[in-house]
Amino acid sequence: MIRLLNRQGVSVFAVVSAMLFCCNSTQASSTSEWTAPDQEAAKEFAALPVELIVNIKDESPYERSLRLLDQGLSIKDMPSHYFLLDSPIIKKQEDRYGPVRFMHAKHARLVRDCAVCHHYRPEDPAVKEINRCSACHQDAFDPRVVDRTGLKAAYHLQCMECHREMAKGPLSCTGCHDKKIPDHVKLIKLVDKPEPSQVTEECLRCHENQGRDMLKTAHWLWRGPSTHTVGRSKEIEIGKGTIAFNNY
Amino acid sequence: MKLNRRNFFKLAGVAGAGALATGAKTAEAWESKAPKDPFGCLVDLSRCVGCRKCEQGCNEVNKLLPPERPFVDMLLLNEKRRPDANSYTVVNRYFTGKSDEQDHLLPTYVKIQCMHCQDPACVSACLVGALTKKESGAVHYDVSKCIGCRYCMVACPFEIPAYEYFDPLTPRVRKCTFCFERIEKEGGVPACAAICPVEAITFGKRSSLLDQARTRMKKDPARYIDHIYGEHEVGGTSWLYLSDVEFNKVDFQDLPSEPIPKLPETIQHSLFSYLWSPIALFGVLSVVMANAKSKKNKEDES
Amino acid sequence: MSHSPSATHSKFFTPGVWVMLVFMFIGAVAVAARFTWGIGSVTNLDNSHPWGLWIGIDVATGVALAAGGFTTSFLAHIIGRHHYEVIVRPAILTAMLGYTFVVLGLLVDIGRTWAIWKPIFSWNTNSALFEVAMCVLVYLHVLYFEFAPTVGEGIGGRVKTLVTAVTDKIMWIFIILGVVLSCMHQSSLGTLMLIAPTKLHPLWYTPLLPLLFLTSAIAVGFPMVVFETTLVSSSLKLDSEMKILTPLTRITIFILGLYMVLKVGDLVYRDVLGYLLDGSTQSNSFLVELGFGVILPWLLLITPGVRKSRGMLFFTCCLIVGGVVLNRINVFLVGYHSPYAQTSYFPAIGEIVVTAGLIAALMFLYRLAVTFLPVLSASKQEVSS
Ligand code: SF4
Ligand code: SF4
Ligand code: SF4
Repeated sequence: MIRLLNRQGVSVFAVVSAMLFCCNSTQASSTSEWTAPDQEAAKEFAALPVELIVNIKDESPYERSLRLLDQGLSIKDMPSHYFLLDSPIIKKQEDRYGPVRFMHAKHARLVRDCAVCHHYRPEDPAVKEINRCSACHQDAFDPRVVDRTGLKAAYHLQCMECHREMAKGPLSCTGCHDKKIPDHVKLIKLVDKPEPSQVTEECLRCHENQGRDMLKTAHWLWRGPSTHTVGRSKEIEIGKGTIAFNNY
Repeated sequence: MKLNRRNFFKLAGVAGAGALATGAKTAEAWESKAPKDPFGCLVDLSRCVGCRKCEQGCNEVNKLLPPERPFVDMLLLNEKRRPDANSYTVVNRYFTGKSDEQDHLLPTYVKIQCMHCQDPACVSACLVGALTKKESGAVHYDVSKCIGCRYCMVACPFEIPAYEYFDPLTPRVRKCTFCFERIEKEGGVPACAAICPVEAITFGKRSSLLDQARTRMKKDPARYIDHIYGEHEVGGTSWLYLSDVEFNKVDFQDLPSEPIPKLPETIQHSLFSYLWSPIALFGVLSVVMANAKSKKNKEDES
Repeated sequence: MSHSPSATHSKFFTPGVWVMLVFMFIGAVAVAARFTWGIGSVTNLDNSHPWGLWIGIDVATGVALAAGGFTTSFLAHIIGRHHYEVIVRPAILTAMLGYTFVVLGLLVDIGRTWAIWKPIFSWNTNSALFEVAMCVLVYLHVLYFEFAPTVGEGIGGRVKTLVTAVTDKIMWIFIILGVVLSCMHQSSLGTLMLIAPTKLHPLWYTPLLPLLFLTSAIAVGFPMVVFETTLVSSSLKLDSEMKILTPLTRITIFILGLYMVLKVGDLVYRDVLGYLLDGSTQSNSFLVELGFGVILPWLLLITPGVRKSRGMLFFTCCLIVGGVVLNRINVFLVGYHSPYAQTSYFPAIGEIVVTAGLIAALMFLYRLAVTFLPVLSASKQEVSS
């Protein structure tokens, strides 16, 4: 469709829709063209169901750090350097943002003390010392574990509080998450072989503000020939601001 | 004819006396009608990060109109807002003087919505019973009964119900529904509590929430002030607040622990249960009137 | 019979009547706007101030000032002071029109006007407003019934015979019912604001509010009769009725005195005198209400000279009426404090013209009624020769 628009040499909707398609295509390309080798494994791991650990050992953070030291557990024992935080437990309730790509090793090397995040152990001595977050934190407001936050809150509280205290790391939503862009193929309603203006109209149906903003940009206001664009300097003589074609 | 009428007057007098007696009995103590085991929410102000996601979730679930400015627009936090006809909940930001180690002022965010009082003033006030307190804890508004007198708005101590002032014929009272359709289903959670990224809103049975609040305070006494707002205020509310700053610094009012409807309902019922007082008054007046009349008749005759 | 009311048949379209018509027209325009663009388009009401001028004046004050109806009929009909009968008909007319306009005011004010009938079927007996609504509804019809004979007489002929035949035998029920219903809802109007202990200013918020509303309503009953009788007899050039009004106000001394004692005693008992002199709008308004609306007129009334002078009596009664009006405005508007309001409430021009229009319409109908129906008993003044 972009090609079609370019050929027409018509621009507003090209820019507006390009904005939109770019977002889509970057996402699409990142998944289809190249994937990090450990991504598939991380995905699978994220989707694994975990049994809830109901009872935890009541000990202070200090005691816990010391005990981990005693046992000789340290960041060298890290099983994985990378996790995709994409648990079905969270998606069950809310699914507005893409998964977080969590650099486990990087964080571990910065913090050095496993107990900062892995703050409790299961009460049952038979269970292993260090568990993934979702072993203890699952659904919010689970009556079996009333004083415990759900997985989503556990992540956010842990990450954001630490990021703030250390004055490092993102605090905003999109600092860690991709925003989920809804599939525009389903949203766009166009007749067959639409007129260019119909396409613009359709974009503006939702992106009214962006359309207005567009009218204030150089893309729209620029007048006169494009003198500095090599090879194109002769093609457009009068500039977009003076063509009435789009001005509706 | 005259005789008959006088007999009736006498009867009325007796009825009046009887009514007086019953009236004395009905003026009994006021009783709370609060549900025994309601749901509630515990809002922990020390957790809230002011992301306004709860406003967004509420807007979507309740099918409110899209807001004028998008939910990601944090500049809105510069003004103090109140819930209105198109937003059942709003988050406000306060700078109370709290600061971090680098002396940066730290904001406190406060989510406001209907408190779903245990003995709600709005429910007591509504003359047609359009507002009711459900067993689940939700204070429910039934538009099909409402006449639009706005007495509920006068009554609400938290100034929560909002009105559609620009609808000429069918305006509605608007307020947080406690997502009653969701919470009354097994496992249902209010939209705002579900969307909150940090569980600043904990959903559960009110009794359990009070326990949880106490646990949190005990575990981290330095973090919280020793007050669960809503535990006793106006006789208790289903929504509760925990805070790391004094409540009056973030626009919470000091409210009495007496349920608001207690006094007016006591007066109403001691005066008008079984209409005893009007009946008694009717009886007394008819006797008086009959006496006056017979006196006059006698005078006229003599 | 010691009195025989008759229609005045004076000239109807006086300049005053034209002024009323103009007010009615402007009011009607505002009402049309309200039903086209909503309450918000003509009022300053908002979520912090759900009740405004329309409730404060049209409803609360309207009900209070219509108290002349039940107080006079109590006096003349129930305890049999028949020489007061001359003032009953005009008082009933005022009450009837007053309540009609209370209901009209409500119809404009409530959001869902067409749903006004719902309280008849959907009850919440915990609500003071429910009781007020039911009483007003029934009392309005009681008043229509009480006024029916006057209309019957006005039409005359067969209608008159028919109406008298129906009303004569059961009128006593309606007379008593009128008093009972009035006592109920006059007091319950006071209970209304008890649901807002944190919003109503402590000078007015007292568990005694229902009793204060009732006593003030009874107290304003006769002064209101004096007020309108004087106005009407001056404007229609009728004989003044001082020989009735003077003894009437003797009764008021006691009731107004009782109201005064209750009100002051309540302040002292609740220990809120401190609020009296803090210089706020509320405390000033309270001082004016108590000083000029209760204490001053009471002092004037106990002076025999005042009661005998037509002008002074009128002035005193104006003070009492004004005091009760201000009291209702204070309780519903001035004393109402919203915890979160960003602006304070002052009635919009739209609210004012609607209220003014309603009052004008009331006066218009009153004049229409006394001109063509046998309401007033005083004879026309002889044009001084
Ligand atoms: S969603 Fe939670 S954190 Fe965000 S503003 Fe609402 S209460 Fe605060
Ligand atoms: S907060 Fe107000 S609206 Fe909500 S239940 Fe309580 S009184 Fe009613
Ligand atoms: S409980 Fe439901 S209606 Fe109330 S604020 Fe939360 S999302 Fe909105």
